[in-house]
Amino acid sequence: MIELRDIERRYISDEVETTALAGINLDIAEGEFVAIMGPSGCGKSTLLNTLGTIDRPTAGRYLFNGRDLAQLPERELARFRADALGFVFQSFNLIDELTIEENVALGLAYRKDGGPRKERVAAAMDRVGIAHRARHFPHQLSGGQQQRAAIARAIVGDPKLILADEPTGNLDTLNGEQVMNILMTLNEAGATIVMVTHSPSHADIAKRRIDMLDGRIVASAAMAL
Amino acid sequence: MAPIALLSHYRAFTRDMLHNLLNIGGLALGIATAILLGLYVRFETSYETWLPDHEKTYLVQTVWSIPQSPVNGAYHYTMGGLLEQLREDFPGLRGTRIRGGEDGGVVIVDGTAEKADVAQVDPQFLEVLQLELVSGRDALGDPSAMMISQSAARRFFGADDPIGQRLTVAMDEARAYEVAGVFRDPPANSALRLGILIPMPRAVPEPSWLRWGSTSLQTFLRFETPQEARAFEEQLGAFVDRRGTIFGDRPSEVQQLRLLPIADWHLEPEGPASASRSLTVKALGLVGLLTLAIAMVNYVNLATARAVMRAREVAMRKVLGADRPALVRQYLGEAVMTVAIAALLALVLAEIGLPLVNAAGGLSLDLPYAVVVPVLAGMVLVIGLLAGFYPALLLSRYQPSQVLASARSPGGGRAGARVRELLVIGQFGLAIAFMIGAAVLFAQTRHMREADPGFAREGLIAVLSLRDSLVEPAQRRAFAEAARALPQVSHVALGNTGVGGSGSTNAQNVPLPGVPGEGPSLNWEIVGPQFFETYGARLIAGRVFDAAREADEYSGRPGGAPVNIVINAPAVGTLGFASAEEAIGKTVGGDRPRTIIGVIDPLRFLSPREAVPPTYYIFTREPETTSSVMASVRFRGDPEATLSDLEATWQRTVPQFPFDAQTAQHRLQRFNDEDERAMRLFTIGACLAVVIGCVGLWGLASFNTARRVREIGIRKTLGASTADVIRVLVGQFLRPVLLANLVAWPLAWLAMDRWLGGFADRIALSPLFFLGAGLLAALIAVGTVWGQSLRAARADPGWALRHD
Repeated sequence: MIELRDIERRYISDEVETTALAGINLDIAEGEFVAIMGPSGCGKSTLLNTLGTIDRPTAGRYLFNGRDLAQLPERELARFRADALGFVFQSFNLIDELTIEENVALGLAYRKDGGPRKERVAAAMDRVGIAHRARHFPHQLSGGQQQRAAIARAIVGDPKLILADEPTGNLDTLNGEQVMNILMTLNEAGATIVMVTHSPSHADIAKRRIDMLDGRIVASAAMAL
Repeated sequence: MAPIALLSHYRAFTRDMLHNLLNIGGLALGIATAILLGLYVRFETSYETWLPDHEKTYLVQTVWSIPQSPVNGAYHYTMGGLLEQLREDFPGLRGTRIRGGEDGGVVIVDGTAEKADVAQVDPQFLEVLQLELVSGRDALGDPSAMMISQSAARRFFGADDPIGQRLTVAMDEARAYEVAGVFRDPPANSALRLGILIPMPRAVPEPSWLRWGSTSLQTFLRFETPQEARAFEEQLGAFVDRRGTIFGDRPSEVQQLRLLPIADWHLEPEGPASASRSLTVKALGLVGLLTLAIAMVNYVNLATARAVMRAREVAMRKVLGADRPALVRQYLGEAVMTVAIAALLALVLAEIGLPLVNAAGGLSLDLPYAVVVPVLAGMVLVIGLLAGFYPALLLSRYQPSQVLASARSPGGGRAGARVRELLVIGQFGLAIAFMIGAAVLFAQTRHMREADPGFAREGLIAVLSLRDSLVEPAQRRAFAEAARALPQVSHVALGNTGVGGSGSTNAQNVPLPGVPGEGPSLNWEIVGPQFFETYGARLIAGRVFDAAREADEYSGRPGGAPVNIVINAPAVGTLGFASAEEAIGKTVGGDRPRTIIGVIDPLRFLSPREAVPPTYYIFTREPETTSSVMASVRFRGDPEATLSDLEATWQRTVPQFPFDAQTAQHRLQRFNDEDERAMRLFTIGACLAVVIGCVGLWGLASFNTARRVREIGIRKTLGASTADVIRVLVGQFLRPVLLANLVAWPLAWLAMDRWLGGFADRIALSPLFFLGAGLLAALIAVGTVWGQSLRAARADPGWALRHD
């Protein structure tokens, strides 16, 4: 499904050049649940952002189902994100002025396909157990509930790929477990998930673990079932 | 806009209600100011455009170009018989004349004369100046008929039908005319003051009718195309050379005739007067536009600053698949919607502010919605797009990965901060320039009000009703003697000049001994006994006229005998003398010799904008026999009581003509009215510009302070006091306001120096105006941001450090 070839990402400021990713080669198959781990600053989030096309690589190729995304113009990448991807962030990133239901619906706002939006939104909220808070605003929910709402937004469009950047980073143990259970359920239902995490126990839930250091993949191993 | 985007915008708006209302309020204020000042400019530039075919109608100007003459310039009056001579040389020429106009004559009803706007016009008048006929017929070819305006009909006939009725009108002579037609009153945007139209006399009404150099009426011509008018105008030089031989070999070098489109008449200055009215209209139009610009800049600045708070939302929308055009469209749509709300509020503010502007400007404007609404709709689109473009561009550029990874919203970076600072510099630069302008206008108008005119303004009344040619010299003499007998009156003097002017100006070339040529042109005036004593004129050298001295009397002098004259100080240099003392006893004037017996300080009877021209005075013991004579009355005590006593005296001595007199203060004040009106309007505009600037500054201060809470916590943890923190926060805004002076001072200096150049007696552009305005702006800026800075500086460091 996903092929990364010689992906590099360099940041150049006035005096400093930083290499966030150096020669990344990675294949991810459909239906995989991949956990990426590594110390702070190793490039985990940059790799996730590259997979999510919200950060462009400096060099290399990114093939998604055979399509080279690295060369696509911004407009087409936007379309790709709307149709194919779902994001979950550590800090939830819900929009404060919208209700939970409206935030979830935002996940369909930029898609061109029609279809029964209300039903899809309701189904997504049901799936994550947040439907009873549909009319509330984000600041009225707990952290765990907000993250579940963010997951609902990520899955409402049935994305091919879900990218989760430390989804439990701001949650307590109980809520973190709940979120991981949701991700696991989604994966069992066929979703491809790539997750960045600091938590080894959460990484164990994934089917494959990738370790990064200084912008490189230093290890990649399937997890024991 | 998608419903969800609309919803998001509405909720973001109401969540931050105060800031958003301030931003909208500031923009509404700017738009309202632009509307009101735009209405004023529209009114002032619309004079005579209500006339059908106004673009085909031209006023003939008489233009003087006499070397060293104080009266050079273009005048709106011509010789009485000019049109007749033009028709002889240019057969088929279409034109008409107006002789008289405002207070041009009197109407005699039951033996009592009342002033009225009487004008003598030609039979073709309505073909050229197409006043709308309301009833009756065009009877201006009938020497026994007249036409009156609707307001004149109401005044003299009440609710009765005036058609067929008779009215006695006096202009040159009293005659009864039959009302044949009623025309609609000219509107407010007209210089035509016409109440009663009577036929131009067939016989020449005055000796100067065909004397080149005299001006006594207005001449209008009609041409079907501008090209035809231009072609005709090019022939006028040759016409003047043929007809104006009184001016010597090359008459067209001394006097020219020009065509002025009638729509330009109102703003065109006359003679040596500066184009103050035109300049005022342009200046106020510019104030309106600049205030709108300040409001727009303000809006952009605040909208940009607030917009960055939505960076995370923008980043998420991008992550979810929104492309840049969609985001730009969304934010432009929000901007247009917000500006539309501001525009609606602006209409309300304009309606509320209109009475204030009308009072300040002496106007009677109203809001023409049929014009304002479409213009406003266009403005909403343009302003919305312009104002929304930068924030939309800024927002749509955010990289989601950078925004979402950051703990705080981006502020637009250093470039964003620099842009905001530049916008503050720009808007405060304009506001400070306005403040300087308002201060200079105030100081100059006060200076004009209080400037020494060369005589004491208090205790002086000018009686103008003697000017009417129908008042007999014996009656004038009788009035003057009776007025002198009033207990509060100390002096009464007659002359063809006086405070506020008598309505006529005389000038003559005075040849100098030993100097070839006609000599410089000086104004000349005829004065009677006690004239200079009445005014308290200050004698510099020699003496003033003495009625007991036969030699001082100018009339009846033997041929070639010198006439004694008194000159004013400007005439000393004009006549080539090094000092007033040197001029005493000297004779000038060639074959019309005049001997200088005295020099006085200038008497400023007219506008302080114009220099007092070099003038010589001649004396007669019978001033009541001169034309355009007026009386100057020096008195003690209450002006209103004295006016009342003088009126009673007039009605005893000249009962058949209306009494017309004003205090010297009143006569001089009218010269200041226009400038004071401009000053009031300008001050209103300046205040609004400052208010809008402060609204913007307050909003920016709020934004910046919120972003620096954590920094404040760190500073306080490191030992900074509240005062130290306030210095940092306030200093951030003081810097651009101080830099704004670099923009404001040159602008204001150029504008004010140009405006002051239109005054003969002007104040100096003191540095205090500039320093004062700069200091005031700084104080206002500090005052605006003080409250928020103090609140932020007092925040608990622990709380501040946890703030995001």
